[in-house]
Amino acid sequence: MTLDVREAPRKGGETRTSPRPRREITTAFVVSRIAVLAVTAAILLYAVPPLVAAGSWVSLALLCAAAAAVACLYLTRRFIPAKYLIPGTVFLIAFQVFPVVYTVTTAFTNFGDGHRGDKAAAVTAIETGSVRQAPGSPEYALTAALRGDELVFLLVDPKTKQVRVGDANGLAPLAGAQVGVTGKVLSAPGLTVLKAPEAAARGQEISALAVPTGDGVIKANGLSRAVEGKAALVYDAGCDCVRGNGDTWRADEGQGYFVNAKGEHLAQGWQVGVGFDNFARVLTNPTISGYFAGVLGWNLVFALASVLGTFALGMSVALALHHPRMRGTRFYRILLILPYAMPAFAMLLVWRDLFNRDFGLVNQLLGVDIDWLGEPGTARLGVILVNLWLGFPYMFLVTTGALQAIPRELTEAAAIDGATPWKAFRRVTLPLLLVALTPLLISSFAYNFNNFNAIALTTDGGPFPADNPQVGATDLLITYTFRLAFGAGGAQFGFAAAISVFIFTIVAVISAVAFRRTRKQEEVYA
Amino acid sequence: MRKRALGVATLAALAFAVTACGGSQSASQSASSAAPGASASTSAAKSGGTLVIWADANRVKPLKPFADQFGAENGVSVEVKEISKDNQQTFLTASQQGSGPDIMIGAHDWIGNLVQNGAIDPVTLTDEQKAAFSAKAIQAVTFNGQIYGAPYAVENIALIRNTKLAPEAPATIEDLVAKGKELKAAGKVKEVLCLPVGQKGDAFHVYPIFASAGGALFGTTPTGDPDAKQVLVGSPGSAKAFGKLKDLGEKGDGALRTSITNENYIVNFAGGKCAYLISGPWAISEVKKGGIPYDITAVPAVKDGKPATPFVGVQTFFVASKGKNKALAQEFVANYVTNKDVAKALYEADPRPPALTAALQEVQASDPDAVKFMDAGKDGMPMPAIPEMAAIWEPFGIAENAVVKGGDAAKAAAAAQKAIDGSLKH
Amino acid sequence: MKLALRHAFVLVVCAFAIFPVLFVLSAAINPMGTLASTDLLPTGASLANFANLLSSDSYPFARWFANSVFIALASSFASLLLSMFAAYAFSRMRFAGRRVGLLALLLIQMFPQFLAIVTIFMIFTRVTELYPAFGFNTVWGLILLYLGGALGVNTWLMKGFLDTVPKELDEAATVDGATHAQIFWRVIMPLVTPILAVTALLAFIGTMSEFLMANVFLRDPDSKTLAVGMYGMIAGDHRNANFGMFAAGTLLTAIPTVGVFLWLQKYIVSGLTAGAVKG
Repeated sequence: MTLDVREAPRKGGETRTSPRPRREITTAFVVSRIAVLAVTAAILLYAVPPLVAAGSWVSLALLCAAAAAVACLYLTRRFIPAKYLIPGTVFLIAFQVFPVVYTVTTAFTNFGDGHRGDKAAAVTAIETGSVRQAPGSPEYALTAALRGDELVFLLVDPKTKQVRVGDANGLAPLAGAQVGVTGKVLSAPGLTVLKAPEAAARGQEISALAVPTGDGVIKANGLSRAVEGKAALVYDAGCDCVRGNGDTWRADEGQGYFVNAKGEHLAQGWQVGVGFDNFARVLTNPTISGYFAGVLGWNLVFALASVLGTFALGMSVALALHHPRMRGTRFYRILLILPYAMPAFAMLLVWRDLFNRDFGLVNQLLGVDIDWLGEPGTARLGVILVNLWLGFPYMFLVTTGALQAIPRELTEAAAIDGATPWKAFRRVTLPLLLVALTPLLISSFAYNFNNFNAIALTTDGGPFPADNPQVGATDLLITYTFRLAFGAGGAQFGFAAAISVFIFTIVAVISAVAFRRTRKQEEVYA
Repeated sequence: MRKRALGVATLAALAFAVTACGGSQSASQSASSAAPGASASTSAAKSGGTLVIWADANRVKPLKPFADQFGAENGVSVEVKEISKDNQQTFLTASQQGSGPDIMIGAHDWIGNLVQNGAIDPVTLTDEQKAAFSAKAIQAVTFNGQIYGAPYAVENIALIRNTKLAPEAPATIEDLVAKGKELKAAGKVKEVLCLPVGQKGDAFHVYPIFASAGGALFGTTPTGDPDAKQVLVGSPGSAKAFGKLKDLGEKGDGALRTSITNENYIVNFAGGKCAYLISGPWAISEVKKGGIPYDITAVPAVKDGKPATPFVGVQTFFVASKGKNKALAQEFVANYVTNKDVAKALYEADPRPPALTAALQEVQASDPDAVKFMDAGKDGMPMPAIPEMAAIWEPFGIAENAVVKGGDAAKAAAAAQKAIDGSLKH
Repeated sequence: MKLALRHAFVLVVCAFAIFPVLFVLSAAINPMGTLASTDLLPTGASLANFANLLSSDSYPFARWFANSVFIALASSFASLLLSMFAAYAFSRMRFAGRRVGLLALLLIQMFPQFLAIVTIFMIFTRVTELYPAFGFNTVWGLILLYLGGALGVNTWLMKGFLDTVPKELDEAATVDGATHAQIFWRVIMPLVTPILAVTALLAFIGTMSEFLMANVFLRDPDSKTLAVGMYGMIAGDHRNANFGMFAAGTLLTAIPTVGVFLWLQKYIVSGLTAGAVKG
């Protein structure tokens, strides 16, 4: 009878199972509803006008639908879980789910350096990049002017001082123009000469204007000069190819390149769908498949050691401090959270220097000569140690918090029953701690499984065997696969996304299995 | 308790309201602060004349006055923004999505990748403008026969030596090592040579020695550019050069050590722990702080070897293809930053030899180091700007690290070649 | 005796915890300050690095500090609220898709964040055009983005804790006629203050050290956060020259976190005296 809040809404919710007296309409109820409506209205008021101005009707419709849904949700008494979940979920969807989904879709493309934009952008880049200054043509001094409303170029040949006017149709001589010392035109009959700020404000028009000459076009180069140039490469929509320099490059939609007969391609490509190619590459790449098992093994060891190590140490310290007669706990706690309070990236770099063989503090203090990060075994030990240092304060904090929630009566009861402290811990404290912390241990495992920074900023995967520069002893799946995706030929986002999907699957399976085991714990109190 | 719920609801509503107000407030603030000192230009700024420049942390400040001046002259507002991590990739991504700048500042070896992504436009310089730059600088920013940016600083590594410990510039690497070992034996230094190797190698710093010992990264095309189709890291010449690095390494002379890293090599020299440092202009401020008397010469060649050619890097202003204000950007890059005062101001903020010959000459009077670095790099090779270069760095570095630790040179070279070939196939 | 053992153990762990911090401290007060040259005992003591840092023209450290604290406070407060709501639903209610939703929440976090940067650019390019107040280069846009991660780990953390609060308590309240909102604010919240405090602290620290997104978002030197600004100090060729200042900055970065911790500490241990369960 008291199950209403936990009832699945699809079963009809509280109205069906609610035998208790009807709730009165409280002030808080009214005010909270008004607040929700007010906030929704405020957001709409703020968000709608720019969308209307920009003509983004789809976004506008989405926004209105979302606002209506939110308003409905909070005005009714139903869908109670949703009321609590929606606020965070909105942000989650916008800034986490959407990026992940979008990134996964790029796994099916060749998105990456050389293939970032669309074909039109590639064509523009090819043509613009191939424009050469016409041999022997002058460097005109440029003045932008208006003929009525039309933008024209006033071009002064620096050698002959001849002034001409150029528009979209071509060049024509201009008489009566007054030329200043800098070579710019000061005034011209029938034309309004633009001053620097006016010209700057029309920068886009100026960039766009091309004055045709017999052979090429004159385009502005900045605001004060213009040159005659000719594109060596020109796209021909008829054959879907680029011609020039005595060669032809045909569009290859499979690769996203213009390719010539010899199989060479122009540098600028575009993004195309490649189906499952990226996934196939992950599976067939000899560097990945050849070392996968070894790297996965170490990756698991690293993640497990990080989680269990930080948990064991953090919990031990929390337990040690969790004693009514313990003095100085405040002081200890400050010292213990210091590693967590320092910027992690900075401390990773510091640790790397501490491990330096000749100059590092670790060797100096221990009086040894160990190349810590230069040998596989010690390097692995080193990164785990560093990760322990970085992570245990976190576990310390959450365990401290969790310990407060464990009723002291329970441990006291166990002590009265004659259990040793260890037994009391095993039977009472630890199980209760685990109820609170198991989800956290799982998420910590998943985090450390992909802990890119911990490796990238310390060993960066090394040390590497002399005969294989691609897989190092401390490489995690994510660091060594990303070396393949970003190390050579620039960034290959599509490939990286495909890799991420695989790694994601591995972590997901492990986490999901571990998560299933928490179901029992969840019911401890139920 | 009802009161509390009420309170929370009001608070939440208030928070949202504050958020909304605060948001618009900060936007108007940033808009007004974005038009610095150019009050006359506000109307033009409103009409859409805004030029956005992205620079790294060291260059924002020195550029600001010139950006403002340019803005005032042209009636636009110029914003100089700072980015500090993954600059090239961030620029590419932002550009592609339409949030990029009009002008980007970066190293010339980005050009290949930027061009294949259609992210930058060629810049037309007049013959006089070209002539005003050092030939090396123009060569570096030329890609596929086009000039892709205005160079402003040229940098390369050189040998910096502690003149108190090593008065004579060594003629060869062997001389250097002999002297360094002698000093080490005498307890005057801790290390023979401060050249960063680290746990992943450092191709940039070791390249002069590698090249001098007969190694090469790429073959050359008929026009003299690096040819991406001929990767030579595993060639017999390169294997021999890796062998030389092995001889200099931990199991040999001990001149190259993996414990010397990018973090500590300069400071070790500045602290007197080694007599020789191979580094660039960025090291000088630290060396001066350490009070070390120093001189700068070219990296010496291997005995009977080829010249020790350092990589030359050229800092460049690029015009973004997808910038919203290209005419202004071209104006700024082609006609404004090519002037001497800008080059000098950038030099003063961060002493790297200016690419403009006239600026270099003026700088020379007060600072001889700039010219010494320039001389040390006169045989240098502009860092290959082809996108394929990205595939070289890491495998090369790891091979270097392996041989320095005493690994087999031929094996390391072959493995690097294989890794590079594998990644270039795609 | 047993207390002594506890102290001994905690002291050992403390030593482990602060030994790298001491090293940074030594680098920060070393006048010739660089991380690489420093021994655990500084060769000289001066506050020059701190002075340089606070008076630096190129590094408006005080602004970064203020930005970071503001962003971290605002977004951790908001995300605490959002995740608390969600955790309450996940822990106390039974609805279709509950466990799947929980698992999905976890898995979403596992996707490499830097791949998402492309999409973040895509979204916020539009937002910047439409709503400049929440676009690139604004603190509010960044906070919105951070709220996207609010549900992630925090929900799991709090849900685990909520599960340990006996359900008899809210069942009793339900019998008394309390609404779900009243149960949430009156019964649950007071019981879980330690967890709220811990989660708030963790969210605060998480935002303070967040760096990947902030770097993409904030491009004015004055609008940067500590993490982004400090990374800029050691990015590129200048890392050597700046290491002393960087070390000083690293230490100062810990101050707000320790401050927040001191403030929240009494809530974290409040459960001890409150005797969590009275039912």
